[in-house]
Amino acid sequence: MIILAKSKTLCARSAAALVIHRVTQGQSLNTAFVDINKRLDESQRSLFQQLSYGVIRWYPTLEFIGKQLLSKPLKTKDGDVFALLLMGIYQLRSLRIPDHAALSETVNACKLLNKQWASGLINACLRNYQRQQDALEKSVTEQLVSNFAHPAWLIEKYQSDWPDHWRQILEANNQQPPMMLRVNRREYSQTDYLALLATANIPAYAIENCPQGILLEQACDVFSLPGFVDGAVSVQDGAAQQVVDLLDLQSGLRILDACAAPGGKTCHILERFPTNQMTALDISDERLKQVDENLSRLHLSATCLAADACDTQNWWNGEQFDRILIDAPCSGSGVIRRHPDIKLLRKPEDIQQLAQQQQDLLDNLWPLLKPDGLLVYTTCSAFKQENELQIEAFLLRQPDAMEHVPAMAPARRAGFGYQLLPGDNDLDGFYYACLRHR
Amino acid sequence: MALLNILHFPDPRLRQKALPIKKVDDDIRQLAHDMLETMYDAPGIGLAATQVNEQKRLIVIDVSEEKDSPLFLINPELLVTEGERDFEEGCLSVPEAYEMVTRADKIRVRALNLQGETFEMEADGILATCIQHEIDHLEGKLFVDYLSNLKRQRIKKRLEKHQKQKL
Repeated sequence: MIILAKSKTLCARSAAALVIHRVTQGQSLNTAFVDINKRLDESQRSLFQQLSYGVIRWYPTLEFIGKQLLSKPLKTKDGDVFALLLMGIYQLRSLRIPDHAALSETVNACKLLNKQWASGLINACLRNYQRQQDALEKSVTEQLVSNFAHPAWLIEKYQSDWPDHWRQILEANNQQPPMMLRVNRREYSQTDYLALLATANIPAYAIENCPQGILLEQACDVFSLPGFVDGAVSVQDGAAQQVVDLLDLQSGLRILDACAAPGGKTCHILERFPTNQMTALDISDERLKQVDENLSRLHLSATCLAADACDTQNWWNGEQFDRILIDAPCSGSGVIRRHPDIKLLRKPEDIQQLAQQQQDLLDNLWPLLKPDGLLVYTTCSAFKQENELQIEAFLLRQPDAMEHVPAMAPARRAGFGYQLLPGDNDLDGFYYACLRHR
Repeated sequence: MALLNILHFPDPRLRQKALPIKKVDDDIRQLAHDMLETMYDAPGIGLAATQVNEQKRLIVIDVSEEKDSPLFLINPELLVTEGERDFEEGCLSVPEAYEMVTRADKIRVRALNLQGETFEMEADGILATCIQHEIDHLEGKLFVDYLSNLKRQRIKKRLEKHQKQKL
């Protein structure tokens, strides 16, 4: 075997530049990240992750600064060079890497991208940033987009929905998300598992009001968690863990999880009552495999079907359900801290389309609910159009449906249902509504 | 010591399956050292006996920058493979072609050393890639087999043309 001298493996910085470039061209951060991560040495992977996620998280701000440093815009095919410039600025303003190292390593990364010509440009721009840092940073604070690192349309939408909370939301969206676990209570209590984590030297705390939730002080590889492969714990935000309590579960129910992948809530329901007859549906065959994997890791079983939930003729056997969970596809505007690429990929016109999908799911699945049955509708959105307004409109269309008030409110009361905003209790933004069939 | 002649794709002899080495004797040790010299001279980081027209299960490898850490594997067997990693590979038998190949990221391998003693080792990164590439040679397999038919044909045509010019 031979290797080309010039085809050295990518370094963290050149690899992150490729990822950022791909996201600006419309690929999801997760897909691009997994793909490029395979080409990296173990030693580079942690910085690579920090840079890829960090630059995408602060993209609107970094782009604002980067454009001022360039005398003319770069060509589209040199998007990787632009990404490298933004990454240089990101390191200088936000990371604890010594400036000289950040500078020289970023300039060196040009070679690995086969863009040697750009090293002078990157070097000059970054040195200019250092010289003009005060003035540039002042200009950043003067505009909402650069100050809050969100596109204008998202800021406006949060402002109009949450005039008193939009700053909290935008700031929470820019935080690094904490890693949270759901303890499989069939195997361990929260206290027992916390003790196991302590033995493994993984600092962790119980999540308030969440009997099986654990917050890790630092994110870690799931395989280093004690008993992970045998189903002791799963990774899940506390906000999503609250859903199961709203379903008013008991043994012997027929339950439908209509948008199940990756299966977090399906598994949680079965962990509590494994004898329930669970149907897990997802429109994507590929993503349904994750549900299967999670079920088998936790030694649980459900009927998994790849189908469009709305197309009931195609998959439903005519037997009604006691409980239906619709964790609807949504804008993700409550979980931007976990998916910062939403800032770049989501477009204003998507919201209307998503709201239509949500409406179709509610209308098509309602007839599948038994009289006196319970339907729980959730999203990870913070927009009223997808949440309380969606439910209000549904209740007007469907006289058989009434809002059910759960014993414990999972979040702040909304017009209809409950809304957790990003930043509330350090949880993901989430919406919950419980509907009872009269 | 002697430099050996390296066979080039699409030579059919590269497709033969190599036979296990029954006894590690002086002939094998001589072959191993000649292969190492040939590999350093090329320069390459790994060479399988198949590539020098010896149908024996022997590979030599050195992935170090300083070229001072040769590794000899006789009758190698992959015991465990784990993970995935992409690497742009080239091959002394397929000149001037470099393509991305996905292989296991971590491996465990068992083999005999030049003294005929069994040993096991773990490898990751470039070493893992190289060991898998060389073991493939012993099975008559080349890295171009992992590419699309179109890419493989293009490489084949180019090399055939090149060889005709040499004749």
